[in-house]
Amino acid sequence: MRAWLAFLILCPLAAQETGPAPSDQAAPAAQPAATPVTPARETTISGFVDVGYQWRSDVGGSLDTYRTVVNLGSGPKLMGLDLSFDSAVRRWFDHINVRASNWGGDPYNTAHVDASRHDWYNFSFDYRNIAYFNFLPSYANPTIGQGIYLDQRSFDTHRRMSDFEIDLMPGKWLVPYLAYSRNSGFGRGITDFVSDSNEYPVADRPRDKTDNYRGGVRIELRKFHATLEQGGTKFKDDQDVFTSEENLGNRTTPFFGEQLELTNLAQTYGIRGDSIYSKVLLTADPFSWINVFGQFLYSRPNTDVHYSQFNAGQFVDLATLLLYTSEFDLVNAAAKQPHTSGTFGFELRPVKRLRVIESWMTDRLHDASFLTFNQQILTPAVAAQITDFNDRLVTNYSQEQLDVLFDVTSKITARGGYRYEWGDGLTRGGLISGLPTESGALRRQVGLAGLSYRAGQKLWFNIDFEGASGDQAYFRTSLQNYERARVRARYQALNSLVISANFSVLNNQNPNPAVNYDFLSHDASVSLAWNPKGGKRMTFVGEYTRSTLRSDINYIVPQTFQSAPSFYRDNAHEANAVMDLLVPGFGGYSPWLSLGGSLLVTSGSRPTEYYQPLIRLTTPTRKHLAWYGEWRWYGFGEPLYMYEAFRVHMLTVGLRCTP
Amino acid sequence: MRADNLISRPWPPRIASAPPPPPGARSTGAGLPRALAIAAVILFWARLMPAQTAAYVGSDTCQACHEDIYKAFQKNPHVAVEKKNKRGWEGRGCESCHGPGSKHAESGDAAAIRNPAKLPVAEADEGCLSCHLHEPTHVGRIESGHARNQVSCVTCHSIHKSSEELVPRRRAAVNAKCAGCHTAVWASFQRPYKHRLPEGAMSCVDCHNPHGSPLPHSIRTVSANEPGCFKCHGDKRGPFVFEHAPVRLEGCAACHEPHGSANPRMLSRAEVRFVCLECHANTPTTAAASKTLGGVPPSFHDLLSPRFQNCTLCHVKVHGSNVDPELVR
Repeated sequence: MRAWLAFLILCPLAAQETGPAPSDQAAPAAQPAATPVTPARETTISGFVDVGYQWRSDVGGSLDTYRTVVNLGSGPKLMGLDLSFDSAVRRWFDHINVRASNWGGDPYNTAHVDASRHDWYNFSFDYRNIAYFNFLPSYANPTIGQGIYLDQRSFDTHRRMSDFEIDLMPGKWLVPYLAYSRNSGFGRGITDFVSDSNEYPVADRPRDKTDNYRGGVRIELRKFHATLEQGGTKFKDDQDVFTSEENLGNRTTPFFGEQLELTNLAQTYGIRGDSIYSKVLLTADPFSWINVFGQFLYSRPNTDVHYSQFNAGQFVDLATLLLYTSEFDLVNAAAKQPHTSGTFGFELRPVKRLRVIESWMTDRLHDASFLTFNQQILTPAVAAQITDFNDRLVTNYSQEQLDVLFDVTSKITARGGYRYEWGDGLTRGGLISGLPTESGALRRQVGLAGLSYRAGQKLWFNIDFEGASGDQAYFRTSLQNYERARVRARYQALNSLVISANFSVLNNQNPNPAVNYDFLSHDASVSLAWNPKGGKRMTFVGEYTRSTLRSDINYIVPQTFQSAPSFYRDNAHEANAVMDLLVPGFGGYSPWLSLGGSLLVTSGSRPTEYYQPLIRLTTPTRKHLAWYGEWRWYGFGEPLYMYEAFRVHMLTVGLRCTP
Repeated sequence: MRADNLISRPWPPRIASAPPPPPGARSTGAGLPRALAIAAVILFWARLMPAQTAAYVGSDTCQACHEDIYKAFQKNPHVAVEKKNKRGWEGRGCESCHGPGSKHAESGDAAAIRNPAKLPVAEADEGCLSCHLHEPTHVGRIESGHARNQVSCVTCHSIHKSSEELVPRRRAAVNAKCAGCHTAVWASFQRPYKHRLPEGAMSCVDCHNPHGSPLPHSIRTVSANEPGCFKCHGDKRGPFVFEHAPVRLEGCAACHEPHGSANPRMLSRAEVRFVCLECHANTPTTAAASKTLGGVPPSFHDLLSPRFQNCTLCHVKVHGSNVDPELVR
């Protein structure tokens, strides 16, 4: 992958060198002197390169949580690169753009290449490498009662994603395209090996990879368009979970006088998957007063599983109360999941101010699986037990929606509509019902309304509302009886001043006595962008958001079998702002000073404070060179989880070169 | 609506967007449906059709006053409309969207020419869609919240400026564009646990298709009809031998705040148990009792013990397991 990346980044440079080919240079000389010559197109390079060095001061508090949340390293870095080449020769390309960011130890590196030649091709390549580090005692910490802050569900992994896509003959009526994507994850971590009555934190080495191939053709004609795509994926997951050390697990007391323990473990997941899929997209306007849209999407992923497990130590089988010391398990399984989706709709314009949008959608997913589980308890020797499992998951969802939009005036548009959603689902039965499968249904009637007002480019606001009444939902926390509303407004008070505001609310309830779910969330925000005198000396952008969330639901306490309510609250203030100032009289240079940052203060079930102030000074030193320095502070604190707080200073110095 | 606006603006826009047929233009066919459609439209709009006094003057005339816009437009891909006769607008690129400009050129009156930014959204969009409707991008248009809420094409796409401002490609530019309206969503990305948008490693359009999608909230689809989440989180895609039903039926947002959260792993509740126990609540869960989907196992563990307060400590394969129906391996 790195070789590919280096090759692609170097491609434009190589192409630049081949530009002024001798034959091309000789050609103008052969032209008759009287022939009118169009002005020669020049090869241009534009963009910037940012390089710098970053220092990280000693991290105060939890380094592990710091790495979880921020995770920026010290050292030399390629902060950013964005270069565009426009070729004069246009032999292999007209335009190439290369972008890269955060190379040099940062937890997210990206690279991107776009290349095109008019009427020949459009090519793009995208690469991302994102690190995920997670070690949070508050997340999974069974030893917290003993004052030991461990996390038995932690990981230090990378995800790498690459995408290649090429369109041939863009702009023509027939556009074939090919694409390939790869997504892989790897790293290490800690997970639990679970046996009856005890669980043991052990080493985990996850490795997975997905390759996606697709190709298709776009047919774009005057009256209709169709896209036909066929693709496939290959997937593999080779996770290993292992230990060879004595491990007493999380159980602190003996089981019937025996200390349960794990001394050796090898869990190997060999999972292979593949899928084919088809996609058909269609638009048409058979008449000037109607547009028609449709999609047909079908995929058929399969999974084959070969799993093996060997564990040694001291274990118990609760079903038979058998104590044993070693076990070998084999699993062979397969799953299939045909999934069909389709949409169809049209927009009708019967009279000038009226539009009617009607759409239908269906989504049908049927998952079926079969598993053979071969369990052999080795010592004491017990006859191998072979168990077969079947499992199913079926969901059929459909919806029909009608919207009517009416331009009341040239500035006001009103909208009303109705949506009906219905479906059914089937899963394996639960322990309470004792049934092999259980089914549920979805029935929801949704009323839709909206209003938009737009006075030129000065003032715009929009109201969007939907209210639903349902008598059946899949889950206790699903949307059932709900109202959702959004109001957005934008006002350009001056040429240099734009104010916008947003408000949204969601109120959802399931009044069934067994559920009694009551959920309410709302957020309100205001933002301001001010660029006096075209931003020549100062710019300011600021936002403030206030949000609240309330979730109440009944449950039964396992120990007492009494019904009790669960309350969850989250109230947050969030703000972020940046002000850029031109600093006068600085030795003839015109440095810009940026001040800003963001803050988050929440209260409720998990109070949190998170501050990220920022100061940045950028000074042009030469025609194509600017120097910059930046200080940033990260401060994270949680009163209920004090051991996870951290503070860190980041100082960055760099140069920006512009060709 | 001003009367002179009606005069200068050809109507309906779809017809007006097609220029006067240049000599030698190819025939577009004259089948019966088309003839009927044209007849119906002509009859319907006959009483509204004003006399068109404005004429096309060519982009050179526009350049005389709007030099800055003209220059910027040369870097915009739409300049192809001006320079090629493929769509019949060669030399009249400006008027392909703004309509005939002779009256405006004579009077200098801004109201004497069609300005898409000031038109009703549907009318402005129709101008864009007269060329762009038949592209895969717009297949989900009528399912898009943007279309329903009157967010016009020119709200996000700057027609006069450079290619990057016409269609932002750089992640920071995309995010800034979206955050201009979705301020509360952008605020979520300032929370400690979030997708890496502020850092420039992702952009809004990695997960959303702003032109519309069959999935709620314009979530992008991958591999035909899978939620876009699985493009990066391929290990959660499945199919699993033992599925965790909410992942398929409700999506990732049943348990996660995908934009950002103050809770670890972007969970929707402060700790894992609160996420799980809202469904696994030990109440009768058969369809007959609560009208919800059955199959929700009870939580019989001692929740007072820290050992059992983190459900995923044992149920490690919470997104779906290929080995165990209880999702423990």
